[in-house]
Amino acid sequence: MDREATVSPEQTAADGELRKRLRGMLESGLETEVEPRAYDHDAVQSVVARLQALAPDDYEGKLRIAGFTLTPWRGEDEIEQACETCMYYVVHRRFCELPELMLPVEPEWSCRLWRI
Amino acid sequence: MANVLWLQGGACSGNTMSFLNAEEPSACDLVTDFGMNILWHPSLGMELGDNLQQMLRDCVSGKIKLDIFVFEGTVVNAPNGTGEWNRFAGRPMKEWVRELADAADFVVAIGDCATWGGIPATAPNPTDSQGLQFLKRDHGGYLGKDFRAKSGLPVINIPGCPAHPDWVTQILVAVATGRAGDLSLDEFQRPKTFFQSFTQTGCTRNMHFAYKVSATEFGQRKGCLFYDLGCRGPMTHSPCNRILWNRVSSKTRAGMPCLGCTEPEFPFFDLAPGTVFKTQTMMGIPKDLPEGVNKKGYIKLTGAAKAAAPAWAEQDIFVV
Ligand code: SF4
Ligand code: SF4
Ligand code: SF4
Repeated sequence: MDREATVSPEQTAADGELRKRLRGMLESGLETEVEPRAYDHDAVQSVVARLQALAPDDYEGKLRIAGFTLTPWRGEDEIEQACETCMYYVVHRRFCELPELMLPVEPEWSCRLWRI
Repeated sequence: MANVLWLQGGACSGNTMSFLNAEEPSACDLVTDFGMNILWHPSLGMELGDNLQQMLRDCVSGKIKLDIFVFEGTVVNAPNGTGEWNRFAGRPMKEWVRELADAADFVVAIGDCATWGGIPATAPNPTDSQGLQFLKRDHGGYLGKDFRAKSGLPVINIPGCPAHPDWVTQILVAVATGRAGDLSLDEFQRPKTFFQSFTQTGCTRNMHFAYKVSATEFGQRKGCLFYDLGCRGPMTHSPCNRILWNRVSSKTRAGMPCLGCTEPEFPFFDLAPGTVFKTQTMMGIPKDLPEGVNKKGYIKLTGAAKAAAPAWAEQDIFVV
């Protein structure tokens, strides 16, 4: 059994394509709602509710509402928030498993739903 | 022969149900093999009406020796401290509780309601409920913090919502067979033999806890329930993954977060919407960290653990 493969080669290729597309959108200046951060339960719920209303392939909407950035976000107490340390990040697949996002990401990306 | 009397205050009978499901020993084995004489129990008692009242009075007076007084449910004080909302055998239950507790060699509180008030005592506590010797974390409860049964022991608290049958039967057997002196109790008067370790001790998801792989749905076999679904396993004292439920499983093994039902604060956050099955965070960091771990340590550990996580930790390793 191949213990390294967490997903099929086809899935890895599809993830790669989509990751490239998402990066492209962010690099070309897509404005995302980086702040206010979703720091308490109500804030998280309201962001999540907005994400739930999106079509699964509305990638631009997901990036915008979740407040994606291409670099880690640094909080007031100097805690760095990056996908790499987030609970929803699947390390080997480089994938965000937050049910409302389910997106290929990069370890240094970040969003306002980060939780450790 | 040890005489056991079991009464029920403000409760749902869950602990009675749990007790009646006991195996090895079963409730019957307690009588036939361990010399217990069940004087009365809400589901097993034979006496009714005047006969029951007389028997209770005889226990209070000492005519019938009361070895173990078991109480399930809260002590109801409403309305206005009278306890009239919970009458039993001709008077408020709370009056029986006081007199029987004073007459008994050992007093055992079964379940969260009897130990610390549990769900009935959750704010706004309309029945003005108390546990026998605690109200949530506050020592005192109905009997007062200095209460001692005739044996010299305070109330022996066996919490849980409900308590596991084995926790109940093993403590009753220990007391009835003269081994109460071997019991050591923690600060909340829980027998340490059951309540020193954590729910997490023996949980099948510990590898996922270690590598910070999160479960995002109930029943998911992969992942730990701490990070997203509010599991209180790392800060709850219970043997739920050492002494399995129905001898086969536990909440966390089945993919359901531990709700911390053996701790005085249960139900946590007064059951406010969105709190029970969601890890409460402040700025993305869990408000309640595993016992003994501080915020800085937690962040460092998580970063390192995620970086070191092997690929298999992300797979469903429970393949049929
Ligand atoms: S939820 Fe976490 S893993 Fe997902 S995009 Fe946001 S920071 Fe990254
Ligand atoms: S599921 Fe709960 S008890 Fe099990 S390892 Fe995770 S946090 Fe601990
Ligand atoms: S797993 Fe937690 S909530 Fe469930 S019975 Fe055990 S201590 Fe109580």
